[in-house]
Amino acid sequence: MLITGLLAGVEAGLNRALRLDGTALPRLQALSGKVIAVQCQSPALELFILPSGDGLQLAAQWHAPADCTLTAPAASLLRLALSREKTAVLHRPEVSLDGDSAVLLQLAGILQDLELDWEYEISRWLGPVATTLLAGHLRSRVNLASHGAASLKQNLADYLAEESRTLVGQREADARFAELDQLKLALDRLEARIERLTSANKSDA
Amino acid sequence: MSDPRKAQEQEPTTHFGFQDVPESQKAEKVAEVFHSVAAKYDLMNDVLSGGLHRLWKRFTIELSGVRTGNRVLDIAGGTGDLTRKFSSIVGPTGQVVLADINDSMLKVGRDRLLDKGVAGNVQFVQADAEKLPFPDNHFDVVTIAFGLRNVTHKEDALRSMLRVLKPGGRLLVLEFSKPGNPLLAKVYDTYSFSFMPLAGKLITNDSESYRYLAESIRMHPDQETLKAMMVDAGFERVTYHNMTGGIVALHRGIKP
Repeated sequence: MLITGLLAGVEAGLNRALRLDGTALPRLQALSGKVIAVQCQSPALELFILPSGDGLQLAAQWHAPADCTLTAPAASLLRLALSREKTAVLHRPEVSLDGDSAVLLQLAGILQDLELDWEYEISRWLGPVATTLLAGHLRSRVNLASHGAASLKQNLADYLAEESRTLVGQREADARFAELDQLKLALDRLEARIERLTSANKSDA
Repeated sequence: MSDPRKAQEQEPTTHFGFQDVPESQKAEKVAEVFHSVAAKYDLMNDVLSGGLHRLWKRFTIELSGVRTGNRVLDIAGGTGDLTRKFSSIVGPTGQVVLADINDSMLKVGRDRLLDKGVAGNVQFVQADAEKLPFPDNHFDVVTIAFGLRNVTHKEDALRSMLRVLKPGGRLLVLEFSKPGNPLLAKVYDTYSFSFMPLAGKLITNDSESYRYLAESIRMHPDQETLKAMMVDAGFERVTYHNMTGGIVALHRGIKP
């Protein structure tokens, strides 16, 4: 009953988020009627996901056969949830997928493509004027923060590479690597030449 | 000429809460209760169960094994909590019938579902659980949530549900039952007979209906008795799951 309650809470939050994306629910409608079973091996847990036009229904048990069953340890499931290259994770040896894998990949794609219209949600509570002001303010803050972070990163890299000389700079490293590559090629050529001369000497003798 | 008073005396009685009433009067008295509480039924469910009724119903849906295209009968469906979920699962190729003997509850349920955009694969039928107006072997799943204890002849209702189920179909009975822990039973009794009528008085201005609710729960068969009744009616593989310490139990049986 505790797990049922927990899943009910997660489901409500998830469906609220899905409603903030104008395309998610119509795309989920296409998966309506499908049952996806997720079996976590360590710790042993089972979760059933039922997509529909209303969102996702999560269940701790489902007394009907699943269309697709994903079995994996918790770490792989987490990696699958966070990774953009989901197919690569699904091909790992500890992950097994039975049934119609297209259902799972389609669901993962929908969740990955989510673009939440959070301004709409805020406007329901604060109204359009306050939302525009707040959204503009937040957006400028986010821009400032991201520019600040990029600038800090650049300055730090310049300081470490150019001023304190603690690290080798990217361009300097690239030049050294290019020289090493040239040297390696020259060495290969020399080796081939020596080999050719040795074999020519042997045949003369 | 027969004496009507004598005829009434000879009529078998049944319980209506803690009272004994002639069988012919129980349905009418139950109907009065639900006419009275229909408007605030959902609110009272949330207040009295602390929202737990939603989890009990979720568990029922999980155990139902309903699939796309299935035909589902939700008896005593009331305000349509289960019907709404079933409607989404069975999809446009399936069908859900919300049946209730009480027209007030049915109207509240119908309006609520329509307001939420649930339409197309849902039908509303005013029907008596003892005499279901459906063909034999018609439904994949039949559910009755918090309704069986109000039925006058429970055995007849169970047989009627068996009749309308397809072979292999499932009946799910979600109903109040008997707590397993004596301490919990004591707390639950105090809660039922003190808080429930008081909440009924404060919210719906009707304490009697909620006194009946508490009494009818005590008169309802316990887990093992209901299981035996389902087996007697012809169900197979009958199992039950206690929830919230046995305050509520979900019985599940399969039609052979």
